[in-house]
Amino acid sequence: MLIRNFIYYIKEAFCSIGRNGWMSFASVAVVAITLLILGSFILLNLNVEHIANEIKEQVEIIARVDENCGPLEVEELRVSLIQLAQVEEVRFVSKEEALVRLKAQLGEFMEGYEQEHNPLRDSFEIRTINPEDVPAVAAEIKKIPGIAAVDYGAEVVDKLFRSTNVIQWVGLAFMIGLAGTAMALIANTIKLTVTARAKEIMIMKWVGATEWFIRWPFIFEGIILGTIGALIPSLILIYAYGEAFSWARMNLYFLPLVAPEQILLDLSKLLLVLGAVIGALGSMFSMRRFLKV
Amino acid sequence: MIEIQHLNMVYPNGVKALKDINLTIERNEFVFVVGASGAGKSTLIRLIGREFLPTSGNIRVFNKDITRLRRREVPYYRRKIGVVFQDFRLLDNRTVFENVAFAMQVVGASARQIRRQVPEALEMVKLTGKARRKAHELSGGEQQRVCLARAIVNKPSLIIADEPTGNLDPETSREIVELLDAINLRGATVIMATHDKEIVDSMKKRVLTLSAGKIIRDEQRGVYNQDAH
Ligand SMILES: Nc1ncnc2c1ncn2[C@@H]1O[C@H](COP(=O)(O)OP(=O)(O)OP(=O)(O)O)[C@@H](O)[C@H]1O
Ligand SMILES: [Mg+2]
Repeated sequence: MLIRNFIYYIKEAFCSIGRNGWMSFASVAVVAITLLILGSFILLNLNVEHIANEIKEQVEIIARVDENCGPLEVEELRVSLIQLAQVEEVRFVSKEEALVRLKAQLGEFMEGYEQEHNPLRDSFEIRTINPEDVPAVAAEIKKIPGIAAVDYGAEVVDKLFRSTNVIQWVGLAFMIGLAGTAMALIANTIKLTVTARAKEIMIMKWVGATEWFIRWPFIFEGIILGTIGALIPSLILIYAYGEAFSWARMNLYFLPLVAPEQILLDLSKLLLVLGAVIGALGSMFSMRRFLKV
Repeated sequence: MIEIQHLNMVYPNGVKALKDINLTIERNEFVFVVGASGAGKSTLIRLIGREFLPTSGNIRVFNKDITRLRRREVPYYRRKIGVVFQDFRLLDNRTVFENVAFAMQVVGASARQIRRQVPEALEMVKLTGKARRKAHELSGGEQQRVCLARAIVNKPSLIIADEPTGNLDPETSREIVELLDAINLRGATVIMATHDKEIVDSMKKRVLTLSAGKIIRDEQRGVYNQDAH
């Protein structure tokens, strides 16, 4: 692309943005809203995923030992558990220790349950190498003789993953709809410009301007509108997420959130690129019909 | 320069605008295309300008069949022809200079080329003194001269003009045709569709008479033919 052509394209693009002030403003606003929602959504998703991972890290299997097992058999069980392929760590919790823990957690509800009348069983707490393997490993452990029952946070984990998946798909569909709207609005804005300059375009064609020469100013117009539209939500999200993160650190310290500096730069880049692409596609759409001659 | 063979044009609505046209135009000729309203003059001019494609037949210009041009080749073909319109088609709020320069800008000419060639073209059409005037401030004749300057500024070897004097009074029409004649003398081939009997009769150029889509007469140093009507 020749430099003088490039300058011409940019100049034309800015001129026509100025000429269609209101439509330009509307397009920028819609792109901004779309990308603000997309950006918030990405942030939410990243954090849900991050939290889910943290929780998964803490998921362990609890295998209760049959009451009839003596200390020797318990030791044998421990060995066979630790030999399972996916198992990372096995910890023995005696029924006495379990009662102490339970009492600490529940306090007065456990009044009356003393060690002589301990209703609990000995158990193993097992961590797997991959949190995803928990259900499979749990099923395997269940088959080992001497294990009376197996528990793990199955439902919690499954639900967590299922709901994040649903959120992702619904959000994606919503986003595509919004991006389509933004594109249509930009297409409309550019169509106004194109119509307003139909005579000019016709003259250009007659004196031998190439289709791309005619197209570029409009594409730049779309890109400029889209990029301005992306700049606004980028700035808003950088500010708002930073605030939200420091607030959460003070008030919800148990919630493991993704640190702003880890994501905001990439997020802004993504939004700017998306804005530009939405703008460019929008203007390409609006011009398809016009360039026939 | 131009060789047309078995050219037929049927518009989508079924109107047969041109029927089996065969025609050769030599380099540096000046050709009037005349005929009654609806005879097919504009259709012929527009086909030569590659505004649309004929139903059948071929049109060779500069030794190339323009009916076979690829879409992206059309602009480069147009750069070699200059087009003059009946309704001028100028950018009203731009100056005379800008209107002519526009034709060079959009084909990627440098500022230096523009500064050199635009004044030349304006001098050719005797508009040097009005370069800074806005196009809409000019008279019809002056506007048509700007259009002529724009058509010649890229130095095309073929000029096509569809009733360039259609909106002008007889005296102004004369000026325009004389300018076209001067452009022709400098080496460009000129094809001009017109209704103007006096001009055709006085210029003593080749005259092609169309009637209902056919060439019914083709004379060197011809005159406007009344029986065409
Ligand atoms: N775009 C079009 N679609 C359909 N029919 C058309 C179109 N343009 C022209 N025609 C028809 O084709 C025939 C030839 O038209 P054309 O414009 O070539 O005539 P012309 O000789 O230039 O007439 P005039 O002297 O009035 O300008 C006419 O019958 C006209 O109605
Ligand atoms: Mg006509």
